[in-house]
Amino acid sequence: MRQRGHHGKVERKNAKMEIRAHMVSAGKAEGEALVYNGPFAFLGDLSPVTGLICMPRHKLEGQSLVKKVFVFTTGKGSSGCDFAAWAAKKNGNVPAAIICLESEPVLSGACITTGIPAVDRPEKNVLELIKTGNHVRVDADAGIIEFEGK
Amino acid sequence: MLLTDEEKRMLGGEYCPGIQRSIDLLVKLGESFDAERLVPISYGHISYDFSPEEFWDLMTEGVPPTPHRVTTHPSNSPEIWKEWGLPLADNWVGEHERKLKRYKELGWLRTETCAEYLLGIFPRKGDIVPMGGSCMQVANNSLFGAKVDRMGVLVSLAAAVCGRTPLMGLLLPENRFASHLVELDDLDVTDWTMTHYHCLGYYIGDQVPGFKPVVVNGLPPRLPFDYARALVISMPTSGAVTLAHIVGTTPEAPTLEEATGDKRPEQVIRVGKREMRETWERLNVWEDDTVEHVAFGCPHSTIDEIGRIAALLEGKKVKTTLLIGASAPVEALARRQGWADTIEKAGGLFLPVCPSIGNPFTRADIAGDKQAKSAATNSARSAHYIASVGGVKVFFGTEEECVNAAITGRWKGKMPKWK
Repeated sequence: MRQRGHHGKVERKNAKMEIRAHMVSAGKAEGEALVYNGPFAFLGDLSPVTGLICMPRHKLEGQSLVKKVFVFTTGKGSSGCDFAAWAAKKNGNVPAAIICLESEPVLSGACITTGIPAVDRPEKNVLELIKTGNHVRVDADAGIIEFEGK
Repeated sequence: MLLTDEEKRMLGGEYCPGIQRSIDLLVKLGESFDAERLVPISYGHISYDFSPEEFWDLMTEGVPPTPHRVTTHPSNSPEIWKEWGLPLADNWVGEHERKLKRYKELGWLRTETCAEYLLGIFPRKGDIVPMGGSCMQVANNSLFGAKVDRMGVLVSLAAAVCGRTPLMGLLLPENRFASHLVELDDLDVTDWTMTHYHCLGYYIGDQVPGFKPVVVNGLPPRLPFDYARALVISMPTSGAVTLAHIVGTTPEAPTLEEATGDKRPEQVIRVGKREMRETWERLNVWEDDTVEHVAFGCPHSTIDEIGRIAALLEGKKVKTTLLIGASAPVEALARRQGWADTIEKAGGLFLPVCPSIGNPFTRADIAGDKQAKSAATNSARSAHYIASVGGVKVFFGTEEECVNAAITGRWKGKMPKWK
């Protein structure tokens, strides 16, 4: 498979990459990656009604998290992030899976209570290696991230 | 994770589905943070109104009254909202009544406040008190030396049902030393009010990555309670700080060295006049000076704060709606002092509600077409949530400026002269 790179050069796409990580919340899922180099809060950042990032002036404002593999740094914000995640999940407006550098108890609790597969502490820097749009598979139970990288 | 025989029975479903689901959640969370075991709690604190009804029913199914104490966060008051003529109040009655009925069956206390240390329910140093609500988490950790880890509202219900919580995070003494140091840079705090401390805390919370413990150095020793509380509770609003030491004031920080465990801080955050000015500006989000609502009591008002507001309102009438979030016992004391009557004669209202996230006057899904389009507050936390959750314009200023705004319906607040 061939793909046009940033500078107009034709680049070869490499084979499948595999990165080991630590399970936060059990399950397996796959989807298109959305990569964000910053922290995330289910309460305030994500609209449970639309599944879009709704925080004014957020870098991803207006982008959908629905069915994505969302890659970011860590959790932040209110202890109400878990009930906000629950409301979003009821509407089907949550990511398919979550990959973060280091989770924290509110984010982890939100993923576990709502059944979103999630991993953290990846052995390589996923924020650089995974590009938005890559197709990513997360097997949280086995602690494995797989994607077609370049 | 190592479980006791009793915990294995709970997990095996020998008691009831609610206990089984709750301990399963605690074990999964604990294992993801490499917790060795669960530990018994001193008491629990939950929020039934913030818990989705389906989750509430699943976690409390079959659960008998608990032997340990459980308390609750500010609650909704749809019947009172109706009396106040808020058009969508009816939508909130059914779910609230059903959950409250179950809450009372469990034998849990209707404290309905985010500041229950004001009711005489507060942890001793070292007590393990898992809870929802980042504002009381950071207050109990920092001001009383309790062991409270960062935790979500749903997980806190599981901990309350089981009387247990995973041994992890800020429950472990080695994780309680401050890694981030805040130094004041040529700031004279002599004339500061509670609102100035809110502003300082809001700046700090934004600067600290994740929920690393913080120590604030350079403030006068034995800071008054209202000031110390305003400082620490504003941090998890702009960030996720869950433990903030204040040198000379909080129990784990008699000296800077004891707060940091004699370790070099990972980061030093300097706060000067420019940072304070910019944060004060950032908390003011408004266009014209019309004020429609004034909110006090985020976190729930102390008796001293109510006394000061009453003195400012003596013999006056308010043009805006004015809400004071306060627990029922603190309101009862204010009534005995005559202060509640003074405030109510002026047109002010009391409610044990969250005056920020759950403020019935600024929430479109409660107030409908009566929603206030602008609100003044003396709390950074309140300003942040009224603006983001309510989506209304916000004025941030001192108690006196907010009371004046209530009386005149106009904002005349000024940027403080930082010295």
